[in-house]
Amino acid sequence: MPPIVTIRSLSKVYRQGEMEIAALDNVSLDIAQGEFLSLMGPSGSGKSTLLHIIAGIDRPTSGECRVGGVGVTELDDSQLADWRNQNVGFVFQSFNLIPVLTAYENVELPLLLMDLNGTRRKELVHTALELVGLADRARHLPKQMSGGQEQRVAIARAIVTDPKLVVADEPTGNLDSASAEAVLEILRTLSSKAGKTVIMVTHDPRAASFGSKTIHLEKGRLLDVA
Amino acid sequence: MTIPGFLVRNAFRNKRRLLLSVLGIAVSMFLLVTLMVVLRELTQPPNDGGSSLRITVRNKLSLANPLPARQLPIIEKIPGVEAVMPLTWFGGKFKEDEPLMWPQFAVDPRKFRKIFGEIRVPEDQYEAWVKDRTSCIVGRDTFKEQKMHIGQKLTFLSGIYPCSVELTIVGVYEGSIDDRVVWFHHAYLDEALGDWGKVGDWWIKATNTETAAQICPLIEAAFANTSDEVRAESERAFQLSFVSMWGGIKLLIGGVSTAVLVSLLLVTASTVSMSIRERFRELAILKAIGFQRRELCAFILAESFGLSALGVVFGAGGAWLMSRTMDIKSLTHGAFVSFEVTPQMLGTAALAAAALGILSSVFPAMSVARMSVVEGLRTLD
Ligand SMILES: Nc1ncnc2c1ncn2[C@@H]1O[C@H](COP(=O)(O)OP(=O)(O)OP(=O)(O)O)[C@@H](O)[C@H]1O
Ligand SMILES: [Mg+2]
Repeated sequence: MPPIVTIRSLSKVYRQGEMEIAALDNVSLDIAQGEFLSLMGPSGSGKSTLLHIIAGIDRPTSGECRVGGVGVTELDDSQLADWRNQNVGFVFQSFNLIPVLTAYENVELPLLLMDLNGTRRKELVHTALELVGLADRARHLPKQMSGGQEQRVAIARAIVTDPKLVVADEPTGNLDSASAEAVLEILRTLSSKAGKTVIMVTHDPRAASFGSKTIHLEKGRLLDVA
Repeated sequence: MTIPGFLVRNAFRNKRRLLLSVLGIAVSMFLLVTLMVVLRELTQPPNDGGSSLRITVRNKLSLANPLPARQLPIIEKIPGVEAVMPLTWFGGKFKEDEPLMWPQFAVDPRKFRKIFGEIRVPEDQYEAWVKDRTSCIVGRDTFKEQKMHIGQKLTFLSGIYPCSVELTIVGVYEGSIDDRVVWFHHAYLDEALGDWGKVGDWWIKATNTETAAQICPLIEAAFANTSDEVRAESERAFQLSFVSMWGGIKLLIGGVSTAVLVSLLLVTASTVSMSIRERFRELAILKAIGFQRRELCAFILAESFGLSALGVVFGAGGAWLMSRTMDIKSLTHGAFVSFEVTPQMLGTAALAAAALGILSSVFPAMSVARMSVVEGLRTLD
């Protein structure tokens, strides 16, 4: 099976006055379908930048990034938004959910952009909430839930459109170990049972150990591929 | 959930801010509509002839033709007529002299004050005039110019009618636009002409500006197809002074309205942009999820539009309700008579609110459109 993500000579340079900061420096990488990849490295090493480019919310300075055969770097902003809606699920470190919407409504949000009727939307939202074990919290607002529950709702929202790719930037960064474990367990299930490709940035080696593979970044360069 | 439902939920996110913003817009819109009403009250009367409570009725054929005295009871019965008085130009001169530059008019002294309310005469002098059939009052300017004194006798020979009158000065008046006139009893003129039974013009006072506009055609109709058809008009000189007087106030009200709108725009724009700034991260997440730039801009526009719409509904609606339920006329002691909120004013307010909604969301919408997802995620991180 061909890799779902193909990255070739990817660089991202930030210019600050006279200085040039290379957030990513000539990175090449393949990610196989269904893999749970952990992305590690010190702060400022370019982990988030790499994740953002793969997920189509940031653009490289040079190089190529293909996801599922699509040249993500070649799409314009509007095409990219549609592509993200159908192909990528996002989980961020914190403040993921819209505070005025219930868990159910937060999960439903990406479906509003798709051509689906209400019944179908309901089915999908319920399936996603069940998968993260929060079907009984559908009517709760984010502030009525724990951080771990919020993060699981965010995962439900990320997978509700059935994307190929789920990206998570330090999803357990703000969680206690028990909640973190529950979140990581769900991400692992997504890759092993549902065949989704999960890319997770983390500082925590224990979190990384849930993944099927770990890669390290340092100063924008890829280290060993373990 | 639907997109509109999502928008409503967003709008009610900060209820206190929403309430205060809507209240702020409502108060300004109320003020705007009220100013428009005031402006209309001030400017509309001179345009439609309703400003003047005074109406003159003349012979339709020619101003020189007199009217029959028997028209009086008919005019008095017309609804909206408060007082009717004959007024006849005597066209007098002193014996053998040139016609005088200051006119003499025969009137009914008992109704005189009702119709020329602006004229001031000392009370005792006025009473003396009413009592004495051959007395007269003289305008201050003529009184001074001719070095007259109270009790002086004036004998005028008419250049129009075959008679003369001998009048005694019992009072001096002032306060009219022309303080040069000699006013005397119409009854005396009648008598001097041997039971003349005619009058030069009828002067009428209407009960209010609204009826004043309606009376003229009624009076003309009352004598249509008679031998003495009439032309009824509201007093022009009065109108002209009215217009020039209010010109400055019109400008002032226009200026105040503009100031209200500009400050409202500034406050609303800052409120909208503040509430959007606070949600940058959320908007970035929506963008990441797949919402298009134009969709997010439309959300912001809809939110600020909704805010203005609520404000104008309460504000302009409140003004409309006030004009409907309160007795503005007695509250303002007759200064404002109709105090009507017209559909046109409501339309103007709605238009102003629409412009407000658009203008106050332009900059926030632009900044959200320009924001990259990564940049938006960084805020609050
Ligand atoms: N907008 C920007 N302007 C300038 N430099 C930037 C910008 N965004 C990121 N960088 C720089 O790019 C480098 C990589 O940033 P990135 O956020 O990818 O690091 P990271 O590995 O995710 O770090 P952390 O673990 O702290 O999240 C850093 O040196 C950072 O300072
Ligand atoms: Mg990072």
